Amino acid sequence: MSPWPKPPGGPRFAACHFCDTLHEATHVSEGTAARCVRCGVVLYQNRPASLVRATAFSLAALMLMVVVHSFPFLTLDAASIRRYLTLVNAAVALIREGSPLLGWAIVLFTMVVPLVISGGLIYVCGPLMFGRLAPGAFQVAKWTYRCEPWNMVEVFLLGVLVSLLKLAKMADVHFGTGFWAFAGVMLCMAAAVAAIDRDELWDRMEVAKS
Amino acid sequence: MKGPWPKAAACGLASCDTCGRVAPVAIGRCPRCGSTLHLRKPDSIQRTVALMIAATALYIPSHLLPIMTVVEMGDVSHNTIISGMLTFWRTGAYPIAIVIFTASILIPFLKIAALSWLCAAATGRVHPSPAMLGKLYWFTELLGRWSMIDIFVVGIMVSLMQLGNYMTITPGLGALAFAGVVVLTMLAAMCFEPRMLWDRLDELAADLPPNPTPPKS
Repeated sequence: MSPWPKPPGGPRFAACHFCDTLHEATHVSEGTAARCVRCGVVLYQNRPASLVRATAFSLAALMLMVVVHSFPFLTLDAASIRRYLTLVNAAVALIREGSPLLGWAIVLFTMVVPLVISGGLIYVCGPLMFGRLAPGAFQVAKWTYRCEPWNMVEVFLLGVLVSLLKLAKMADVHFGTGFWAFAGVMLCMAAAVAAIDRDELWDRMEVAKS
Repeated sequence: MKGPWPKAAACGLASCDTCGRVAPVAIGRCPRCGSTLHLRKPDSIQRTVALMIAATALYIPSHLLPIMTVVEMGDVSHNTIISGMLTFWRTGAYPIAIVIFTASILIPFLKIAALSWLCAAATGRVHPSPAMLGKLYWFTELLGRWSMIDIFVVGIMVSLMQLGNYMTITPGLGALAFAGVVVLTMLAAMCFEPRMLWDRLDELAADLPPNPTPPKS
């Protein structure tokens, strides 16, 4: 894969997002980061095999999401009733039991946002591996970055663990395949998002456009 | 103002919030991604404070109103966040009680306190020490999402415990209020402009009177 290209049009600058100190954006070798001279915050970093890793981990996350929605998260046995929990069940139950806003919050933070981030990364990084720009890639990249702080996959997993402990006294609860798949989604999403630096992605998109 | 470290804003340059491209603020829109350029996030103090007031207003009902109602064999009991935590504590599940206490009570409170301090520092009312306050801001942004845990627990409990006459759980208004607290404090943290801390510090170093209004975009 080609190294991080420099976009056309003379020297580029980078401003520290924390203290606003202006730097000339020089090339950093793979696996290293440029830090602000004043406050030490990372300005940008050159990740090894960035595009391939971002695409591969996003693809893995996407496939695991299919598994998450096909298998139960938890199985509960109580009073001779067996109940299965899937992610969609949890949201639908809240919507039906009189808290539609909370139900939609679960849909948004644990389903839609991870889907947008991993789907967006595949859509943008996949064609970029071959130096091409997918139609509308700039808009997709913008939305991918806007969604990032709202990804709550790992928080939901901790929530599942807490519920499990809450329910342990009243009923027999077991982890399902969906739970382990969701743990996989969490790891893949973290790896995919960390795989490529924002500046590198946008520089590559700019070069592919010109 | 030019110190030993040139500031982008002092050169009329803004870095795009979306793509990081540095461009003259005068051209209005980022030449790369088309987002609006501004030297500092617009009205960051006003927005942060407004969202914080809304979050504080919801914080109280979120702990007073039940987050879920349990109907077990005809007995109705209302659970609040605090009563749920105390149940864990009494039954000896200390680690989980501590997790709930931290995520649901301590973090939202600390976030509001930290943002108030940051806003005070950014407007020159408290001495800005960016090295320490920067870490505080970073923590505030990092920890924000984890408070959602109780909301997810309610969702899971409600969907699993629909066991007819044996036991039924329904969500309460407290859960909605608490979700509001989490989302509002997250938005407040996003609206805050950490670069203002350095602006105040540079003003102090230059012995200028502190200027409480942020530079307009």
